[in-house]
Amino acid sequence: MIDGVPISNDATAGSGFDVAGGSPPLARSPLNLLNPADIGSITILKDASATAIYGSRGANGVILIETKKGAAGGSSVEYDTYVAAASPAKRYDVLTASEFRSFIQSQVALHNTDSTRGLDSTALGTLGTANTDWARAITRTGATQNHNLRFAGGSDITRYLASLNYMNQQGVALSNGMKRLQGRLSATHQALNSRLRLGVNVTTSQVNDNFLTYENTGGFAGGVFENVATFNPTQPIKVTDSLGVTRFFETGSTSVRNPVALAEQITDQATTNRTIGNLSADFDLMPNLTARINVGADKTAGLRQLYIPKSNPIGSSVGGLARQGQYTNVSKTLQAQLSFRRDFGEAHSVDVVGAYEWTQVDRDSLIAESHNFLSDAFSFNNMGSGTVVVPPTSGGRMDRWISFLTRANYGYKERYFVTGVLRYDGRSSFAPGHKWTAFPGISASWHLSREGFMASSPFSEMRLRVGYGVVGNPGAAAYSSILTLDASGDARYVFGTNPVTGIAANRNANPDLRFERTSQIDVGLDYGLMQNRISGSLEYYVKNTSDLLLTVNVPQPAPVVNRLENVGKIRNKGFELSLDALPISRSSMTWRAGIVLSVERNKVIDLGPYSFITTGNVSGQGQSGQTSQRVIPGFPIGSFYGPVYAGVDSAGRQLFRCDSGTSCVNGVTTTASASTRAVIGNANPDFTLGFHSELTRGRFDVSMLVRGSFGQDVFNNTALVYATKGNALQGKNFLRDALNDPIRLRDPAVYSSRWIESASFVRLQNVTVGYSFDIPSGVGSARTARIYVSGDNLLLLTGYSGLDPEVFNDASIGGIITRGVDYLSYPRARTVTAGLRVAF
Amino acid sequence: MKNSIRFAWLSALVALSGLPLQGCTDLTENPKSNITPGNFYRNEAEVLGGVASVYAMLRNDGTLWGYYNISEISTDEMIVPTRGQDWNDNGRWLEIHRQTWQAASPAGLDDINRIWVDSYKGVARANVVLDALKKVTVSNQAGMEAELRTLRAFYYYLLLDAFGGVPLATDAQVIPRARVTRDSLFRFIESELLAVRGTLPLNRPATEQGRVRRGVADAILANMYLNAGVFHKETGVSATAYNSCAGIAVAGGIDACQAAINFSDSILNSGVYSLATNWRSNFTSTNRTSLENIFVAKNLASSGLGLNFPQRALHYSQFNPEPWNGFSAVAEAYRSFDAADDRRAIFLVGPQVNQETGAPVCERPKTTCGPGSVPLVFTDTIGDVTSARENEGPRIMKFSVDPGHVAENNGNDYTFFRLAEIYLIKAEALNEQTPGSATALGLLNTNRARVFTPPKPLLTIDRPTILNERRFEFAGEAKRRQDLIRHGKYTTWVETSKNGKLTATETFRILLPIPQSQLDANPLLVQNPGY
Repeated sequence: MIDGVPISNDATAGSGFDVAGGSPPLARSPLNLLNPADIGSITILKDASATAIYGSRGANGVILIETKKGAAGGSSVEYDTYVAAASPAKRYDVLTASEFRSFIQSQVALHNTDSTRGLDSTALGTLGTANTDWARAITRTGATQNHNLRFAGGSDITRYLASLNYMNQQGVALSNGMKRLQGRLSATHQALNSRLRLGVNVTTSQVNDNFLTYENTGGFAGGVFENVATFNPTQPIKVTDSLGVTRFFETGSTSVRNPVALAEQITDQATTNRTIGNLSADFDLMPNLTARINVGADKTAGLRQLYIPKSNPIGSSVGGLARQGQYTNVSKTLQAQLSFRRDFGEAHSVDVVGAYEWTQVDRDSLIAESHNFLSDAFSFNNMGSGTVVVPPTSGGRMDRWISFLTRANYGYKERYFVTGVLRYDGRSSFAPGHKWTAFPGISASWHLSREGFMASSPFSEMRLRVGYGVVGNPGAAAYSSILTLDASGDARYVFGTNPVTGIAANRNANPDLRFERTSQIDVGLDYGLMQNRISGSLEYYVKNTSDLLLTVNVPQPAPVVNRLENVGKIRNKGFELSLDALPISRSSMTWRAGIVLSVERNKVIDLGPYSFITTGNVSGQGQSGQTSQRVIPGFPIGSFYGPVYAGVDSAGRQLFRCDSGTSCVNGVTTTASASTRAVIGNANPDFTLGFHSELTRGRFDVSMLVRGSFGQDVFNNTALVYATKGNALQGKNFLRDALNDPIRLRDPAVYSSRWIESASFVRLQNVTVGYSFDIPSGVGSARTARIYVSGDNLLLLTGYSGLDPEVFNDASIGGIITRGVDYLSYPRARTVTAGLRVAF
Repeated sequence: MKNSIRFAWLSALVALSGLPLQGCTDLTENPKSNITPGNFYRNEAEVLGGVASVYAMLRNDGTLWGYYNISEISTDEMIVPTRGQDWNDNGRWLEIHRQTWQAASPAGLDDINRIWVDSYKGVARANVVLDALKKVTVSNQAGMEAELRTLRAFYYYLLLDAFGGVPLATDAQVIPRARVTRDSLFRFIESELLAVRGTLPLNRPATEQGRVRRGVADAILANMYLNAGVFHKETGVSATAYNSCAGIAVAGGIDACQAAINFSDSILNSGVYSLATNWRSNFTSTNRTSLENIFVAKNLASSGLGLNFPQRALHYSQFNPEPWNGFSAVAEAYRSFDAADDRRAIFLVGPQVNQETGAPVCERPKTTCGPGSVPLVFTDTIGDVTSARENEGPRIMKFSVDPGHVAENNGNDYTFFRLAEIYLIKAEALNEQTPGSATALGLLNTNRARVFTPPKPLLTIDRPTILNERRFEFAGEAKRRQDLIRHGKYTTWVETSKNGKLTATETFRILLPIPQSQLDANPLLVQNPGY
């Protein structure tokens, strides 16, 4: 929520074009809209009664962002800027050209002595004379610049703040990046002797993205990073032919593609315009009774444009491909609230709120595509000139949330507090009769440190909290409960020579579809010692989620194989400890430091009639139909399931554990499909740790942030497919790790526990050094300034062999969540930033 | 001035807040880009959109994937060897070929599951439209109902063939249902086809080519009767001996073999169909004009509407877009063909050319031939099916590439039933009634006459001769599994390729397992014996 307006998380520019499998969805946070410098405060709500206030859309927690507002007392102008340089922290470690050359030569030599092994002499023909480091050729040092100008001012009656932001960020891989231009206006005004308080915020932005052609899923032929891993390093990036024309080197195959050419030749860009605004009015009807109305809107218009030229192998098979997609999301919201607040005598305070909330989100999309152009000159700007026109697709959806809410707080002597919340949430996408559900929440706290008997204790602050609440998760897309018909591509048919539009069900009805319910109990203790020089909290929670919304197979016959159902239960239990200390607090020097420890355990308690649900699609050539994870009762979400690797036999074949079958000898088999499968890993960490430290000495300040996560596993899908010598059979390169393993050339890449790696890590997330100073009054009217240098991701300690142990690959099947799958990730940047802030 | 600003603020607020309050508690959904059965199927054109969606499950992503692949690759006709890093795919292709699948094994959860869900999707789509037709009146209603019921019967026939008795639904409710016996599913399909065949048109104009005619219902019936020794029994099907149609009484109390002959004759005497003089014209991109093809999956060289068989079989360099270099023929299948038989030309063996341009092609990575590249030469054998080279194994290119193809979409219609099969069904049924029947021999030779120059008629007829003749005639048309089961040879066949199917498999494998995902989704399902 930004200034009380719920922000939609929907993709704003649609997904990319499938070059090979699924291209990654837009990794674009809604926060891209905001200029970080405009954020006044961020509050994250997790406990039951707090999220209950925000209702079902807050079932997974709520992030409240309040933007900065103008302040009374004169005007101020602030300018801040930074420049940053980012480079990949790690690149794919493939064989160099000379290593590849000698590998091929040694395999040919092997073949000459034993014709059943190695590569025949024709493999030598694939070797070129160049020495290309594709991993380096595709990456760069990306420069970023950011400028922000803000002015604010006002009186006791009217305040304002305006800001303008420009950012231009280059990715660490070629040809991608983002530009943002954003403006914001905020004003507050008081009237009728402060009985009426008005506020308005408008934020508008234009974001221009340039995308790279890469993929996080898929199989046969790929985008940039697959070809970085496999493209022959003895071949050059560009060649000059006999006519003196320089062009990108290609093999002649349309599925093996020069990665630099992919990055340079394909245009894939999006322009997203987004405006968020809200208008609020608080009116004191009586001294203790306040009415509040907040109306807001969030409108996004995204246009994604793609052109794959004929000169590129992907484009050549269709004669050039142009596509444009337009996406519009409009969210409207209204909140009306009446609150009553009064103290009764010395001891009692009462605060009662009644509210009504209404939100509607409309989404529309239109995608057009055509192929086979006379020339690449038109790019995507003249799609009618393509001789093959793919039927355009368009769609529209509407979602509505409505809630009634009452909340009452009662406090006694500022020591005992009780809060009760009752919501009545409605959601359009659930089945008729199940659209409305009531959710209660209650919490109490005891401010122990205000009790007389605590006066002599070492605790300067102590508060005990307990809470219980139920919230509903609305994770159901529009129309999830009704059988809908669609003119989908897979329903089309041909009579004679005429294509006929087919109309078929694209969704099964589920007349019982309702809210997923999460009931949470939490117990917390906030503490402070030594006048709060040491403070922190302890928190324990148990979250039971029932009526889990899962996409599951339905009994056949059914027009669609699965549907969204309320199935099963999961439980999350956790413990959080935070400790903040102010060891040094002198006028010349302060040092503040703290740690946060989190432990969470997740378990699937029940899956209804299902013994398991498969998910975690395995990507890469030769992996179709392979899955890596199962949701199984008794195990956590994110459990890896598959064959257990048992080493290599003398012939260089991989072995897997087995119990029975003709191919099972001494408990091992070379046939993975005949092996005994088991749970072979858990993508959830045992615990995570955070450490922060801020030191200020005189005009200098130094801060750092360290994060660590321990005990989790990651499935290194990249290594499975590319750390395998067999790629050389197709003239492809591979990751260096495969060079020294004893596995024979012709052994296929098989998913097993061999590829499940421990991914514990400690990361130095950020270090910042700043210097604040006053600008001499002779120079304009500048009052204060700060310069700083900071570094992000400077150090990573991990045993994980892939690019980075923190992975965000979406390998889900049918919307069933996956965790911890790493496939051809975009390299994580290491960034150094230098910045300046001047306030006038 | 100040007052008027305040007034403007207030009235704007009131106006804005008043707007949505009209629908204060309204959560009704009115889908915009989707429609519901309640506001659709109001005229013939709209119903035809529903009918088209039922046909659509016949194509690449429906029947021609799961059912086709299992019917071919689990037999001695096709194999998908693992080629280095390619085509391992969880081991499922070799699992299918070696018949080692289980309910929860890779093939069970993938390809076998595809037969189940794709066939049932065809059934369910038909049921949605048939349910809707009960509530409306449109022109040509009876004709479209007959068409839908024929298609639904065909999808049930695929399930009957693959799994035996399965849950039977004739309405659109999505609920768990128990399996019916194989025998009663047989009788349901039979009664449906008998009920609607009279309503189906004998022939259709060119604009309706591909929609079912009476011949389709008759061909399914004739084929089911020939297989009655397998389909019409709940127990007692032999995995190792011929399962004859003789002695099994079907609708009207007649013997199944005689019923097969009767419905074959109905087609033969209809005057609609005739054998093509040029045998290969039945499979080309212009085969929509073939008078031999009775029931086809329609294809068109248009985005998302074509046949992708060239992708499955051809080497990377033989077509554009780049094929997958997967499906190969088993050496024994290729070698069983008479060198003089025109039908042997469906195999690609030896030096290879680009199927579009005719230019010689080479192995990867240089798919276009040049200095240092290796010409592509398909071998007739595969050295080791677990680590095959990219040039190993013959390829079946029965449905030749379409010169006008759009990307991977070729316009060749895929043939489910051809008149040639009706000849062979009738011959086999006659041979069951009178072993060595001269009429049966004549039917086989009539069919052979067009593919041998000079003619090379068969001199005698028996069961193995018929099975062989079906292999030559229907290789690549997904008949082999059903034929081998009827002849009691499905589990016993073996091959010589290293690491291929080297031993006989368990007899229960003549039925596929019900995939674990389906057992989970429907607690009333009972697994087939042996799994």
